[in-house]
Amino acid sequence: MTPDPERTLRAALAGIAAFAVGYLLPGTLQLPVLVYDPAARAFSVARVVQGVSMRYYGDLLVACAAGIAAAAAAWALRPRRTPIAVAAGAALSLVALDVAFYLSRLLAAV
Amino acid sequence: MNRALLVAHAVLGFTAVMAATHHAAHAVVAALGRPQARALRRFGWIAPASVVAQAIAGLLLYPSYRLHVRAAFLERTAPAAVQWFDLKEHLSALALALVIGAALAGRAAAEGDAPRQQRWSIAALSSTGAAFLWAAAVIGLYVTSRGAG
Repeated sequence: MTPDPERTLRAALAGIAAFAVGYLLPGTLQLPVLVYDPAARAFSVARVVQGVSMRYYGDLLVACAAGIAAAAAAWALRPRRTPIAVAAGAALSLVALDVAFYLSRLLAAV
Repeated sequence: MNRALLVAHAVLGFTAVMAATHHAAHAVVAALGRPQARALRRFGWIAPASVVAQAIAGLLLYPSYRLHVRAAFLERTAPAAVQWFDLKEHLSALALALVIGAALAGRAAAEGDAPRQQRWSIAALSSTGAAFLWAAAVIGLYVTSRGAG
């Protein structure tokens, strides 16, 4: 069976947009995520990290879950009202927002 | 073990950069009106597979970097490189979503006759993903040179 190109693209755009939001928000709002301490080799759930602990796994996990859920929802609900160019622009704008935020953090730190 | 994983991460990283770049180039050519069904199908699995593989290698290496490179000396000797490495990780994560999304949409568009607006949207996603991977690769080489130096 041939997949519907528009349905697949809309699901992909929803997934990318939700991934961008799900990646940015937990860190900026300091939401509790999975944190790994490589020195103690232990996982925990925390809002902020201390020492060598890292929240990258947790942030990525939240982003992947948000992206997959949004893509599945768009696939099931088949939204078609928004023009595809607008949906693509919105998804890429959210990605650009993430990049702008992380670039601003880099420029403030160096 | 970590050295082998680092080499695998580098090789997979460049495979991902090249595959995603090929996908982006074919997506742009398809958007311009020249059908690229075969190439979009082929790179529609090579690009996401290589990006996922290099991401897994990177995630496995990350604790070791955090402990034996970043905390051990990089924060002291080259704090700017630490910030650049963080940006590389963020760009890689966003590229993961973009490349997978563009690959799935590109494969579906290759099967049917997708309208121009859809083809350009796929080209935009794919090109952005490839650009992020290029940036991540260049930053990775810079940080590695600071870590080795």
